[in-house]
Amino acid sequence: MRFLIVDDSSTMRRIIINTLTKLGHDDFLEAANGREGIDRLSASSVDMIITDWNMPEMNGLEFVRAVRATDAAKDVPVLMVTTNAAKDDIVEALQAGVTNYVVKPFTADTIREKIDAVFAK
Amino acid sequence: MIPSVIDTLSQATQDVFETMVFREISCEGQIDAEALRPQANVVGTVGLAGSPNGLVTFYTSFAAARDIASAMLGMPAGDVNGELTDAIGEVTNMIAGSFRTRMAEIGDAWTITIPTVAIGSDFTIKPLVSGRRVLLPFRMEAHQIFVELLLTDADAFPGETRGDE
Repeated sequence: MRFLIVDDSSTMRRIIINTLTKLGHDDFLEAANGREGIDRLSASSVDMIITDWNMPEMNGLEFVRAVRATDAAKDVPVLMVTTNAAKDDIVEALQAGVTNYVVKPFTADTIREKIDAVFAK
Repeated sequence: MIPSVIDTLSQATQDVFETMVFREISCEGQIDAEALRPQANVVGTVGLAGSPNGLVTFYTSFAAARDIASAMLGMPAGDVNGELTDAIGEVTNMIAGSFRTRMAEIGDAWTITIPTVAIGSDFTIKPLVSGRRVLLPFRMEAHQIFVELLLTDADAFPGETRGDE
């Protein structure tokens, strides 16, 4: 299973990759913002996207809307990992096309549960 | 019972360390009001925009910052170099974000700014606003780290006992 990790923080990309590696995954693409994420998706297919919200160039919501407008990736599940955890934030993210939501700080168990929930749908 | 602002900040900080830094830290009380800002080599700052406005600031030594980045990234401390700034920015961002989320549940809703990180050996961070300020010292193994909260409304800590009274 291939993941695209989109986050302007290289630390957070590394933490997410370390977490997914602990969970048994080993195929990752990385992007530092939404625009780079769209570029990666135009070149490669992925099974799940994990994205931050607050990023320069193209933020997470703009990125998710752009993903949902593509033919190739419109159905790829998107997990948003962010500190934006107010109820209104979550509603806005889900309306933009986010499939599930993880609030930072998180544990590996939380990531596993959210991924399992996405693929159980 | 509504948790206090200071307890909320302390708990948010401890949760970030437990889940993302994989290090236990303990809060060593609070230093209120006019305390000197701690000497630090690495300082992360995130702004809180709302009513009141504010700042969350995270202070560490180089050695503590290197240990934090090492633990977060799962790499030897000696190999940490360019990652240090980003890691401390992310820690500050998560502390402020977690604090903001918890406070939103009891009434105060803020937007948080992107983090900034200053690194050096002889500098002072001085916000050009007055208000209410509290400094929380934490112990992480041999290191002492500090989290500071500044709010522009001097009465923004409802129910707290002020150390200067």
